[in-house]
Amino acid sequence: MNIDQLKEISKQSYDASLQKANALKKAESDQILVYKNHIFRADAETICFVRTVSEGKDSFFMLDSNSNPVEIKEPVEFLKLLLQRNQSALNTYHQLYQNIKNRKA
Amino acid sequence: MTKGVLLYCFDTPQVSYSKITDRCISLIERNLGLPVTVVTDADTKLRIKSNCDTRVVDIEKGNTKFSKPWYNLERHLAFDHSPYDRTVVMDVDYFCYSDKILRLLESENDFLVHKNAHDVMHREVMRYDREAMLDLVWATVLIFNKTPRTRAIFDTVKLVKENYVHYCNLYRITYKNFRNDYAFAIALNQINGHKEYDVIPDSIATVPADAEILELDDNRAVIRCNDKTISLQDQDLHFLNKDVAYV
Repeated sequence: MNIDQLKEISKQSYDASLQKANALKKAESDQILVYKNHIFRADAETICFVRTVSEGKDSFFMLDSNSNPVEIKEPVEFLKLLLQRNQSALNTYHQLYQNIKNRKA
Repeated sequence: MTKGVLLYCFDTPQVSYSKITDRCISLIERNLGLPVTVVTDADTKLRIKSNCDTRVVDIEKGNTKFSKPWYNLERHLAFDHSPYDRTVVMDVDYFCYSDKILRLLESENDFLVHKNAHDVMHREVMRYDREAMLDLVWATVLIFNKTPRTRAIFDTVKLVKENYVHYCNLYRITYKNFRNDYAFAIALNQINGHKEYDVIPDSIATVPADAEILELDDNRAVIRCNDKTISLQDQDLHFLNKDVAYV
């Protein structure tokens, strides 16, 4: 490959990286969930925590995104909403990512 | 509890903020479905085409940004200007392409603001941690209830505004023109006993001033900057380039 082709590949990679960074920021915003008046991030960490501490329990305590304590009295409902919000955000991110990859190819 | 959006819109000789406001309102209607009240002056009111509630005020002039008029001295009055119990105060150049604000309105926090913003070109140009002795907040979007505590926050912003030189010296703020971002940062810092306060957990996607805006649709914006063209869809955006009025 000549230098122009190498530069073009580098430029395409930069563009793809920029689009991916914006799509990821969008996914982070899309993951914001307000439940029982508290703000949460429906991310993998929150989902794993909720699934773990809610096993066999009717209620449990956790922190919202501002470290305020919350009692979750309906863990099943909360987990369902977290998963819905998380998967909706990541589905959109996945679609955007595929578009970026296809354009690069 | 009534909920709505409060916008401040004053045309300047250089920028038609009324045009930007019309586009901002159409996106609020489409994606948030909330009532809108615009605080404006008599001349600008005539140029706003949207069907919305307006409140005409005499504005305080004198502030500048890049040597051009900058009419940003009214926001500390939002508590009194707002007809709503729970209010979103928003820059007119913040375009709601998503329902994020609607989700945040369901929270119990009596005052919310963003602490982070990022350039959509990801150039690491939006860090201000060396520009002052306190963290900046972005007064681009404020969400508040009318409570004694939020009244205290707005009253402190007024106090900061009236003594801005003193507070700039106190917090070693390098930017000397009045800026709501710093005024609210100082007020929140003081009212919260110089401790942490609740914030909106994500970052404002900001279209930089040097980006050319190529297209604006109902759900996306296409911009070009440094020969890079990017499309941003279904994501709230804050436009620093006021040419957004003419796209």
